[in-house]
Amino acid sequence: MSLLIHCPICGRRNGYEFRYGGEDKGAYPAGRSLTPEAWYEYVHANTCSAGVVAEWWCHRHGCGLWFTIFRDTRTNRQVLEHGGRS
Amino acid sequence: MFGAKHILPKGNPPLESAYDAVLIGGGLHNLATAWFLAKEHNMNRVAVLEKNYIGYGGAGRNTAIVRANQRTQKNIPLYKEALDLWPVLTRELDFNLMFYNCGNLNLLHSEAAVKAARTNIATAKFLGVESHLLDAAETAKRVPALNLSQKITHPIHGAMYHPPGGIVRHDAVVWGLAKGAAEKGVHIHQQTEALGIATKNGRVTGVKTPAGTIYTPRVLVSAGGYTAGLLYHMLKIKMPISVLTIQAMVTQPLKPLLDHVVSSGAYHVYANQTLKGEIATGAHMDPWPNYTTQTTAGYIKHQAEALVELMPCLAGVKFMRSWAGLADMTPDMAPIMDGNDPVEGVYMNCGWGYFGFKSCSATGRYMARFLATGKCPDRLKPFALARFKNHRLMGETAALVNYTPDN
Repeated sequence: MSLLIHCPICGRRNGYEFRYGGEDKGAYPAGRSLTPEAWYEYVHANTCSAGVVAEWWCHRHGCGLWFTIFRDTRTNRQVLEHGGRS
Repeated sequence: MFGAKHILPKGNPPLESAYDAVLIGGGLHNLATAWFLAKEHNMNRVAVLEKNYIGYGGAGRNTAIVRANQRTQKNIPLYKEALDLWPVLTRELDFNLMFYNCGNLNLLHSEAAVKAARTNIATAKFLGVESHLLDAAETAKRVPALNLSQKITHPIHGAMYHPPGGIVRHDAVVWGLAKGAAEKGVHIHQQTEALGIATKNGRVTGVKTPAGTIYTPRVLVSAGGYTAGLLYHMLKIKMPISVLTIQAMVTQPLKPLLDHVVSSGAYHVYANQTLKGEIATGAHMDPWPNYTTQTTAGYIKHQAEALVELMPCLAGVKFMRSWAGLADMTPDMAPIMDGNDPVEGVYMNCGWGYFGFKSCSATGRYMARFLATGKCPDRLKPFALARFKNHRLMGETAALVNYTPDN
């Protein structure tokens, strides 16, 4: 399936070099006050949006960097945050 | 042959301003729920809302395999009841669903796979489901086309044989259930998108459509791969789901050579011969969520290589069509059926991944009971959304599969 991802270090590469890491959930939750519900939100809960989604990706078969991109799940293209062409 | 347009009366029924229940999604789970609501609970003021046409989504894209050889004690009885319902539905709907119980052979390619199969077979037998372990010679006796060579990538050690499974014509199930439900008064609204769910004081009050708001005390969201996104965008309920595309394809029609559903985890392929003679085959999922339903050339190549290693007589056979559908995957590979939490009157039936077709008959019956009584049937209780919030996942896979984002 056609997917090109822009790695901050390696530039634009074939999507199959990358590992999808889930929807971007923000910072790792603090351990001391963490509830089971908050941990559920962090590890499992997704918006499953058909549209522009902020996602974590890792350049697994490249430099190994983890980073966030925006992708339109209807077209399978990396986009800018507001949905424009990247 | 006949198409769906001859099954339902011409044109949509009138969109009433109120219904006893509104089912979002015109796929098999909701059509079955509508049928059982009308048949077993006398509730026929029911609307099924479908954005495209009935059978457009997973209902018409699956590879029609039915079976009850899952892993956990919670799952197997549900799938067994679904299997047992095919002959019953054929009779009650007066519609030939083309159920062919040719049996399923899960090929085993390692000692570890044989050991895992022994557990599955013991569970199945305990729950009254027929399932046997076959060695390599017995497997080849069932499917002579299989390659027993030790020189292939993954030599065949044996198989888990599940005789009651097989295939059902999925379009026929869509047409039969739609026809049956419509005859009992259910309104099936095609080309009618649900735009939102209206609530007041924690209770559902209606569903917004382009033609106005429908007032209803019950809404069931069961729209296959779109369910999780709908629940989030309409009600801000986040689901433990990732929606991946799954691909399938068929070859040109051949003389009968495969009278079982054959699957192989190691080759990542399954195949069965349809009643038209085509080899229907699939299994590949691209490992990132998307709603494109695109297919990939690389997978067609993989599929050809795997099939020819397993069944060398298929060398040179041409693929005629390939397609893809959406699979809404949960972290524990078991579905989510829930209701009245957190919104009274809102029900959900999703997370089936690639098990939605084989379960639709029994699930429709239980979801109908759930909607009609407001009480969750015991059979569905283990599938509540709360299991993820409590971190008590089901063990439907022996190990997490590597093509979901959860691994």
